[in-house]
Amino acid sequence: MDTSFAQRRRRDLIIAACCAVAAALVPLFVKDVYIQNIMVLTLMYAALSQSWNILSGYCGQISLGHALYFGLGAYTTALLFTKFGVLPWFGMFAGGVISALIAMALGYPCFRLRGHYFVIATIVIAETALLLFQNWDWAGAALGIDIPVRRDSWLYFQFTRSKLPYFYFALALACVAWLVTWWLEDSKWGFWWRAVKDNPDAAESLGVVVFDSKMGAAAVSAFLTAVGGSFYAQFVSYIDPESVMGFQFSLLMALPAVLGGIGTLWGPVLGAVVLIPLTELTRSYIGGSGRGVDLIVYGALIVAISLARPEGLIGLFSRGHPKEPAR
Amino acid sequence: MTISRRDVLLGATATAALLPIAARADTPDVAIGIIYPFSGSSAQIGVDAQKAFETAADIINKNYDFDLPLARGEGLSGLGGAKVRLVFADHQADPQKGRAEAERLITQEKVCAIIGTYQSAVAVTVSQTCERYQIPFISADNSSPSLHRRGLKFYFRAAPHDEMFSKAMFDFFDDMKKKGTKIDTLSLFHEDTIFGTDSGNAQLKLAGERGYKVVADIKYRANSPSLSAEVQQIKAANADVLMPSSYTTDGILLVKTMGELGYKPPAIVAQDAGFSEQALYDAVGDKLEGVISRGSFSLDLAQKRPMVGKINAMFKEKSGKDFNDYSSRQFMGLIVMADAINRAKSTDGDKIREALVATDMPGEVTIMPWKRVKFDEMGQNNDADPVLLQYIGGKFVTIYPQQAAVAQPMWPMK
Amino acid sequence: MTAETIIQSLASGLLMGLLYGLIAAGLALIFGLMDVVNFAHGEFLMIAMYATFFLFAFFALDPLLAAPLVAAALFVFGALVYLLVVRFAVRAKANAGMVQIFSTFGLAIVMRGLAQYFFTPDYRSITHSWLGGKTISISGIFLPVPQLAGAVVSIAAFAALYFFIHSTDFGRALEATREDAGAVALVGIDKNRVFALGWGLGAALVGLAGAIMAIFFYVYPDVGASFALIAYVTVALGGFGSVFGAFAGGIIVGLVEASTALILPPSLKSVGIYAVYLLVVFIRPRGLFGSL
Repeated sequence: MDTSFAQRRRRDLIIAACCAVAAALVPLFVKDVYIQNIMVLTLMYAALSQSWNILSGYCGQISLGHALYFGLGAYTTALLFTKFGVLPWFGMFAGGVISALIAMALGYPCFRLRGHYFVIATIVIAETALLLFQNWDWAGAALGIDIPVRRDSWLYFQFTRSKLPYFYFALALACVAWLVTWWLEDSKWGFWWRAVKDNPDAAESLGVVVFDSKMGAAAVSAFLTAVGGSFYAQFVSYIDPESVMGFQFSLLMALPAVLGGIGTLWGPVLGAVVLIPLTELTRSYIGGSGRGVDLIVYGALIVAISLARPEGLIGLFSRGHPKEPAR
Repeated sequence: MTISRRDVLLGATATAALLPIAARADTPDVAIGIIYPFSGSSAQIGVDAQKAFETAADIINKNYDFDLPLARGEGLSGLGGAKVRLVFADHQADPQKGRAEAERLITQEKVCAIIGTYQSAVAVTVSQTCERYQIPFISADNSSPSLHRRGLKFYFRAAPHDEMFSKAMFDFFDDMKKKGTKIDTLSLFHEDTIFGTDSGNAQLKLAGERGYKVVADIKYRANSPSLSAEVQQIKAANADVLMPSSYTTDGILLVKTMGELGYKPPAIVAQDAGFSEQALYDAVGDKLEGVISRGSFSLDLAQKRPMVGKINAMFKEKSGKDFNDYSSRQFMGLIVMADAINRAKSTDGDKIREALVATDMPGEVTIMPWKRVKFDEMGQNNDADPVLLQYIGGKFVTIYPQQAAVAQPMWPMK
Repeated sequence: MTAETIIQSLASGLLMGLLYGLIAAGLALIFGLMDVVNFAHGEFLMIAMYATFFLFAFFALDPLLAAPLVAAALFVFGALVYLLVVRFAVRAKANAGMVQIFSTFGLAIVMRGLAQYFFTPDYRSITHSWLGGKTISISGIFLPVPQLAGAVVSIAAFAALYFFIHSTDFGRALEATREDAGAVALVGIDKNRVFALGWGLGAALVGLAGAIMAIFFYVYPDVGASFALIAYVTVALGGFGSVFGAFAGGIIVGLVEASTALILPPSLKSVGIYAVYLLVVFIRPRGLFGSL
C-alpha cells in the first residue's frame, strides 16, 4: 500500500511540474493583456485557495475570514513602501510574518470553537479588522493607499503595461502553495489531520499535538495568503479596505477549493481554472447590460456544481484511484 | 420613479439599434469606453448613467438644432462625420475589476477614451490604467478632491469636486449670516467610504476657517441596518444646520429615522449624492420640504436655455427620470470628450489629450450652470460653479449663487 | 451626554434588537432542525420586502394586512427551496457542511441577480402606510410605531414558536426528526416532509419580518446583505439549536449596538456586537443557550 501512495505522490509531482512548465509557456502564445490579466487572477486565486485549503480543507477549520490575512499582507506592503520607502519584497515578507503571528494569536482561543461557531468567529474577526482599517486615518482610512508609480523594475515590483512579471510571480506563488500542500500531505501533521477527520474522538487522545499542528497550519496558511495580498497590492497598485478585506473576498478565496475539491491537492487549482475565467468573462461580456444576468449565471453555476459534485470537480478525474491515500 | 422592465428592454433595444447605424457609416466609428457599476448595490446608478450617455451619443451622432458642441450635423465633423460608439463595462464597484475592464476596453475594444466611474475608489485605478496606456480619462461624476491631485497627465474632470461644492455651501452660509440668519453651529453626518470621508474632511476644514462650530461630526457605516443611535446624537447636538453626505439608501433611512425620533433641524444642506436622487424624494419627500442640496445641474436653466429642457425630455424618454446631478454630469462628460476628439481630428490618445488641455467651452453651450469648461494643469475645471438647490413644492429650485438663483431661500425649512 | 440620550439610545436599541431577533428566528429554527446555515437568509428577507412592496404598489395593501400573505408566500418559497436545493445539499456524502454553505450562497447570488433582472436595481420604498412615520413620545423618549409593531410581532412570534415546538404533534415530530432522522422514518414520519415544512416555517418568519421592515426601510436587490451577518451572529450568540437563544441574542445585539455607538464613533458600532460575540463564545463555546 505504501508503495502505491508513494507512487501517486511521485506522479502528482510530475504532473504538477508539467502543468507549471506548460503554464509558463502560455504567455508566449497569448499576447492579449486582458486574457493575461485573467490568467494572473486565476493563478492568484489558485494560490490563495490552496493556502486556504491547508487550514480549512486538510485541517478542517473552516475559515471565512481569510480576507483579514490578505488585507494585512496588502496593507503592510503598501504602508511600508509609501510611508517608509521599504521595498515591496521586504514588505511582502513582513506582511506574511505579521499575518502568521496574528493567525496564531487568534487561533489560540478560536480553535476551541466548533463548526459554525468557528466559522462565524472568523467572519466577525475579519469584519472587525475591516472596520478598524476603514477608520484608521494614518492608513488612509476609506481613501485607501494609492501606490506611487516608479519606474518599471523588479526592485519595486512595478510594471506599467507588461503583465508577464506578475504572471510569473503568481505562477511561482501558486507552485509554492501547491508544494507546501504536497509536502504537508505526507508529513506527520497531515497524518494527524486525516486521523482526526476519520475519527473525531481520536482528536481527544492526540490532544496537544493536534492543537499545535492546527496552529502551524493557521500560520502557514496566513503567511501564504498575506503574500498573495502583497502581490495584489503591487498588481493593482491601489488598495482600500473594502477591496482587500471585504467579506466577499473571504468567500472568493474559499470558492475555488470548495468547487474544485476541498481538502484535495488539485481541487483549488482546478476550481480556480474553471471559476475565475468564468467570473471575469461573464462580467465583461454580459455584465454591461446592467440587468444582473452575469450574477444569475455565476450563482446558478455554484449551486449546480456544489449539488452535482459535492466532492468537487476533482471527482470527475478520480474515478480510477481512491481519493484518500490508502495507508 | 419606476423603470418598468419594458423600459429597460426598450433601452437595451435602443442601444442595439444604434450599432447598425454606426456600422453603416463610411468612416470607422469612434469607440469610447464607459465604465460604471451595472450590478451590485449601486447598479441603479450605472443603469441611469447608460441612458445619459446614450442621450449624449444620440445628440452627437444625429442632427439636432441645439447650441451644444457637435449637436448640429451628424457625427464628428473633424473625423469625416465618424459616429461615436459607446462600449459599456461593469466594474461592480471593485477597483481591481475597474482596472481590468479599462485594460480590456483599451486593448480589445480599441477605445480612444474612457469615461467613468461613479465610485471614486474605482476612478483611482481606472485613471491610473489610462495613464499607463496614454488614453484620456474623464472623471464624469467622481467628486473626491484627491483624484486630480495625483499628477496624472491624462486625467480630466469637467465637474466640480467636493471642496468646491463645500465652499459654495459655506459661501451661502456667510451670505445668509450677513442677511441676519442665525448660523453658528453645524452637524456633519457622513458615511465612511471615500465620498463621505472626503466630504466630511472638506467641511470640517472649511468650518474651522470660516468660524463655524461643528457640534457633531458623525461618521457612520454605509448601508447600516439602523441609524437610530446616530440620529440621536445629531438630535442632541441640535445644530443650526445639518450637513449630510449620504447615498440614497442611508439618506432614506436618515430622514425616516429623524422623523421617528422627532428631530427637525432648522436647515439641511446636503452634499448631493442620495439627496439628488428621485428615489429619496419618492420615499420621504414629504418630510424634506425646504431641504437644500448642492448640485451641478438645475432644470431651472431651461427657462434661460430652452435646449436644456429639450435634452432633459430626451433623457426622460429613455430613463423615465429627469436629469439629476449625476446623469447631467455624465452627459457632459461625453460631450466634452467628444468635442476634444473632434478638435483633435484623431483618435490618438496624445492628440486627444492636447485637445482636452486646449478646451475652452463657454458655459452657455453646455446644459450646466457652469462659467465654462477649461482645465487647469491638474485636469480640473475650476470654472464649474456649483449651485445650491432647494426642494420646494415637489421640485428643485436654484437659490444660490445669485446669478443663477430663481428664488429666495426658504430658511428655516418647513 | 445626557440621560435622555442614553435612555433614547437604549430604547431604540431594544426595539431594533427585537426586530433582529425576529429576522434571526427563521434561521435559528432551520438550524435547530437540521444543522444547516442558510446563507441566502438575507435574500429571503429581500424577497419578503419586495413582496410587501409590490402588494402595496399594485393593490394598495397596507404592509400590516400584507404580512400574513407575505408570510404564506414565503412559506411556499422556503419549502420549495428545501425541496429543490437544500434536500440535495444535505444528502451530499462528501463535506456536507461546505456544500450547504456554498449551495445556499450560490442561491443568494442567483436571487439577487433575478431581483435585479425583474425588479431593476431601483430603490423602492412604501410611501404611506398606517404605521409609517408615526411615533409615540413618552416624556421626550420617542418610540417609532413601526418598530413597536415589529417588537410586538417579534415577541408574539417567539411565543407562538415556543408553544408550537413544545406542545404540538408537528413540533414534536420536528424535534424527533432533528434528534434522529433515521429512527423517525421507522415510525412513519417522512423526513423530507418535516424538513420542507420546517424550511417553510422558517421562511414564513422571515416573511413577517420583511413585511414589518418594508414599512420603514428601503428595498433593493442587495438589501439583505446588511442584515444577514447580524442574523448569523444573533443566532450563534444565542446558541445554535435554541430558538429562545435567538430571541435573547437579538435583544443583546440591539442593545450592544446602540451602546457602542454612544462610546465609539458610530461607524464602529458593529465592532461592539462582534466583540460581545467573541467574548461569549470564548467563555461558552456553544453560545448562551446553545445545545449543539
